[in-house]
Amino acid sequence: MPAAEATEQSQGGASSVSYQGATKRYGHSAVPAVDHLDLEVEAGEICVLVGPSGCGKTTSMRMVNRMIELTDGDILIGGESIKKRDAAKLRREIGYVIQQVGLFPHRTIAQNIATVPQLLGWHKDRVRARTAELLDLVGLDPELAERYPVQLSGGQQQRVGVARALAVDPPVMLMDEPFGAIDPIARERLQNEFLRLQANIKKTVLFVTHDIDEAIKMGDRIAIMKQHGRVEQYATPAEILMAPATEFVEDFVGADRALKRLSLMRVADIDLWKAPLARAGQPTSEVRAELDAPDVEVPYALLVDERERPRGWLTQRDLAGDTVPRTADAPLGPVLETGDMMRDALADLLQGESMYAPVVDHSGGVTGILSIEIISEFLASPVAKTEEQSAVDRPLGIDRESEIAADE
Amino acid sequence: MNSSLLGMPIAAVGEVGEGFFKERSTETLGCVAHSSHLFCGGWALEHIGDYGTPARQQLEMVVLSVLIGFAIAFALALLARRFRYLEPPLLAGTGILFAIPSVAFFLLLLPITGRGRETAIIALSAYTLQIIYRNVMVGLHNVPDSAKDAARGMGLTGRQILWRVEVPLAIPEIIAGLRVAVVSTMAIATLAVFVHAGGLGEKIYGSGNLNFPTTIIIAGVIAIVMALLLDAVLLLIQRFTTPWRRAEALA
Repeated sequence: MPAAEATEQSQGGASSVSYQGATKRYGHSAVPAVDHLDLEVEAGEICVLVGPSGCGKTTSMRMVNRMIELTDGDILIGGESIKKRDAAKLRREIGYVIQQVGLFPHRTIAQNIATVPQLLGWHKDRVRARTAELLDLVGLDPELAERYPVQLSGGQQQRVGVARALAVDPPVMLMDEPFGAIDPIARERLQNEFLRLQANIKKTVLFVTHDIDEAIKMGDRIAIMKQHGRVEQYATPAEILMAPATEFVEDFVGADRALKRLSLMRVADIDLWKAPLARAGQPTSEVRAELDAPDVEVPYALLVDERERPRGWLTQRDLAGDTVPRTADAPLGPVLETGDMMRDALADLLQGESMYAPVVDHSGGVTGILSIEIISEFLASPVAKTEEQSAVDRPLGIDRESEIAADE
Repeated sequence: MNSSLLGMPIAAVGEVGEGFFKERSTETLGCVAHSSHLFCGGWALEHIGDYGTPARQQLEMVVLSVLIGFAIAFALALLARRFRYLEPPLLAGTGILFAIPSVAFFLLLLPITGRGRETAIIALSAYTLQIIYRNVMVGLHNVPDSAKDAARGMGLTGRQILWRVEVPLAIPEIIAGLRVAVVSTMAIATLAVFVHAGGLGEKIYGSGNLNFPTTIIIAGVIAIVMALLLDAVLLLIQRFTTPWRRAEALA
């Protein structure tokens, strides 16, 4: 984003967040809401705090900007204790997004986004430029700037909420179930948009949710909390799915955790079958020979055009003649892209009632075949081909402790 | 109540009704002062100028009373917001003031503050407290918690949250309270004549006027028109200070 670089930033970058025995006790209650929490969140990562309600995840998050004051222990942001800072000034440097959005109903979208810049006394030209830039960043029409929150949909409002939190380019963002109150379709879109945004801005994000699927999708690292802010496991999503550290984590992740691994992988991450390609006019003998080759597992050849884009499946009847016909007998069915999530690819296959589907790259050319069989083999095997290769290179459920240790 | 203290015959009220019907139907007297014709147009045209001063006095009393009442009620509401436990006693206290019969209130103040406009304004302001206080509280309560939480989370101080978020959002309820206060004060202010504070009450309760419907009607109409004008001013203020409400109506 050249525009973002052109604007002079007061903050920029990202800072690590370090919980050091952070404790919150309400009144004289014997049981602390959060008990000696130690957690290291690396700069530029999304750390998801997830757990059942009452586990202390929101309290843990709200301690960072002192919305909830620590009873004991400390939290360091970029190595600096939050206790030394004036609470209001500290909060202006930390993005804050909540489930109910909390836009000011009496202020226009532009005024809402400008809240923190105005508190920091930015010049109004700079505020205006930054507002326009942020609307663009979160994918909102600049015309919405002069509207009031009530005139926007829930999804649009939460985009404004994110833009407002990013206004002064804070190094840390706190997000408390930000997409929790949004309908499932819009939520999915907002999640994807935020991940795309985060790939550019690389903020340190503390993200609270009770939804393990959202945690797996959004988190670079997930802290699964049980009670009193006790972290049962702090690891990457893949590690948590492959090797839950405790019974609690296993239960919380759910019996379908093997399936959930599919939402961590893209089609490009898995070994595809070789596609037997056939072009119109090609001798059928060649095609039949290719189908018989030992490394070809699909029983049908794929008709492609001159740019190797898939056109249809060739049946035995299509191959009865001397040359490959122009059109295929069997419809093409679903076509997958290398960037698709494995979970979505499986859904497409099931919905299309297909055993196989061609996979195409950006240019639309066929790169291979994905089959139900490949997916079921992947699910059955403990060894998933992910970037967490080292962590998962052995049977499931063995030696979990050493894996956690290896991670640190 | 001692009627000599009032300097006017309250007993006359009872005779008005009788006169209204009897004299209008039987008498053919011209429309002159203190005739009991329902309305004497000629007399009204001739004497309308006499109503200027009472009307101005009335308007001043109402505006001042509502402004003072607003200042006090708003301060009380801020106190109650800060110290939650004060909310019920303040509501009860202003409620008791509101419940005192108005003529009695004016007369009770006489030995303390003496005759005159100040006494009237004290009583009238006290009456507005309940309405305005209650509305300010409702307005502040209606501010969405999420907006306050977001404001705090973004680093607004307590005072900034109050003046930039809570008060602006409470304006519709506050103005609704002021509108009721203005109209009811306009009505009660006619009783200020009992403490010699002037106002349109002079033209209603003044010597002999209770037998003369024309003057009661003129004074009444002036009071109503002034109440409507003040109400319109408040509506205009609301329109200019709450543009988001129109957006809400359109959404």
